[in-house]
Amino acid sequence: MSNLYAKKRFLVVDDMPTARDALRTVAQNIGAFSVEFAANYQDALYRIRNNTPDVILCDYMLGEGRSGQQLLEELRRFNLLADENIFMMVTGEQSYEQVVSAVELVPDDYIIKPFSPEKLLLRLDRIVAKKEFFKDYYQAKRKQEYAEALALLAQKRDSEAGRPYRFEILRQQAETEMASGDAKTAEETYRAILNNYEFPWARAGVARSLHKQERLSEAREEIERVVSSTPTFFDAADLKASICMAQGEAEEAQRVLDEVAKKTPRNYLRKRLLAEAATLNGDDEAARAAMADVIANDTMPGAVQPEDRLALARSQVNANDLISAEKTLVGLKESELQNLTLDLQASYAALLAISSPGKGKPRFAGLRPALMSAALESTPRLDILRAALTLSDHELADHQAETLMEADDAKKTFGSTRKLYALHGREMDFRNIQKQVALKRIKHETPAA
Amino acid sequence: MQKLLDILASGIHDAKNQLFQAESTLIEAESKHGIDLGEARYAIEAAAQRLSRTLTAYRLGRHDQALAVVPTVVCDLCDEVALAQRHHLAAAQIRLEIDCQAFDEWPLDRDLLTDILNNAVQNAGRFAKSCVRLSAAMDDGGLLLRVEDDGPGYAELPPAGGTGLKLAKTLAALHARKERHGHLHLDNGGPLGGARFTLWLP
Repeated sequence: MSNLYAKKRFLVVDDMPTARDALRTVAQNIGAFSVEFAANYQDALYRIRNNTPDVILCDYMLGEGRSGQQLLEELRRFNLLADENIFMMVTGEQSYEQVVSAVELVPDDYIIKPFSPEKLLLRLDRIVAKKEFFKDYYQAKRKQEYAEALALLAQKRDSEAGRPYRFEILRQQAETEMASGDAKTAEETYRAILNNYEFPWARAGVARSLHKQERLSEAREEIERVVSSTPTFFDAADLKASICMAQGEAEEAQRVLDEVAKKTPRNYLRKRLLAEAATLNGDDEAARAAMADVIANDTMPGAVQPEDRLALARSQVNANDLISAEKTLVGLKESELQNLTLDLQASYAALLAISSPGKGKPRFAGLRPALMSAALESTPRLDILRAALTLSDHELADHQAETLMEADDAKKTFGSTRKLYALHGREMDFRNIQKQVALKRIKHETPAA
Repeated sequence: MQKLLDILASGIHDAKNQLFQAESTLIEAESKHGIDLGEARYAIEAAAQRLSRTLTAYRLGRHDQALAVVPTVVCDLCDEVALAQRHHLAAAQIRLEIDCQAFDEWPLDRDLLTDILNNAVQNAGRFAKSCVRLSAAMDDGGLLLRVEDDGPGYAELPPAGGTGLKLAKTLAALHARKERHGHLHLDNGGPLGGARFTLWLP
């Protein structure tokens, strides 16, 4: 039929043997010479990791609570799928169309069973043509040369050949603007798309870029629209939860994530987010359960990182299960510890100082000068605060509290900070720090021109 | 009621999987024996299409059918209808002409639209003398899709439509953009002189 696909390596992913055979027949009929099989999700991941096929034909329903969409998300998460590879979802029902019309992360195309070899060929040819059209852009994007990538997209947008891809060009433009850190421009690009049609993924893009710009209540308003109109768009729920956390509404964040996590029990990025929300919300048991699940079941090599073990230890410390926390922390290898960033080293030392003072206090004391001066994220700051309060190191504790309240994400950590001070009977001190920070802010604020 | 919908949807899902296996068996036989089983494959795909359409109609009846709107290349949409129908029409000595003058991506429910157009071309093919034409053009800030034939035209207007026509009408109206809704218009005449099926999408 065609020899364009003769040299391409195909991978057919389907849990039903007869369906696999049917897909192979169709692939061979369009000239594919090499067609491999994967019978399930894990098998597919293994094969793709070892030797990425040129074309993946993946059934949407993979059994064992797994879907082709999850596979696609996992491949993107671990960067296992280059823009040049083709991922085509195969589905027998219409429910996947609802997913693909809403979400931000989409396959190159999807095709509904039954279909003829001629139809598959037509679809594949189009994908190949599209990838050829975007080829130089993909290369610039991969090298993170964002200015170059955006210039190429602008060129394509104005070209006659770009007419069939006008939405795709804008979508890529918005994503590149986000990746380059220009959330303001990304917001404008997403709004330009919405000005043409109300795509849920574009509305979520507006919310994401507003969140990046710290315009939280606007971001919240936008994402609420998406979540209520498109319940199948789970990533929108994640985004809503992140915005809620930033607004200091950890309880709502946990509620939203809990609901979605029940529908996607094997999405471990979501479980991590759930643990974060539960921790901020003071639901230590939920945080512990979520992190234990992540560490036991997120089986991709390299998926479980030291920071996940730290998150588990954090939830154990919060739940006052110090023996388990110590066990979790001691489980980290010395070689892993040496490669940690200062943020993670700080969390490790702080959590160990609480759960195992004998081992932890010297390490924590050694880091103290850095903890008094370095720029740190809010999560390690809360850990340091917790340890410093436990060790009655008021100077160190108050410095963390002050920095947390001055930070951009102060709303996110406010509740936890106050709770920790209350736990150690220092509410009054907390209120004084709060007052000082407020005064400082007024002094520093220059009147608008 | 949700349970009944689930039962229907999963039954149709399984049936379509089996039809896909049947089609692949035919494809194997075609390449093994060098024969053309195009009409049998066409019948299989038409059966699958009919199943999907029935489910869509049921969902519409329950007001439970949301569109899945994706940016779609209009000319590709026309090409797919041509691919699905041309062989079958040629067997009845009917020519299918495609005239696509809409070159941009357009937001629409690709799969439902493909089904609507396939159905319209099938209907036209049943009455055409020698020619069916599918055309696409930009019109009044929207997309105009038209299927016409050189047959005797609709016997009555509006025609007493079957499921396909009713579905087309409802699905057109569900397409909304910038506070405008799509619509379906059926009449006789036009350059080919027969029935004319006109769908406008915002």
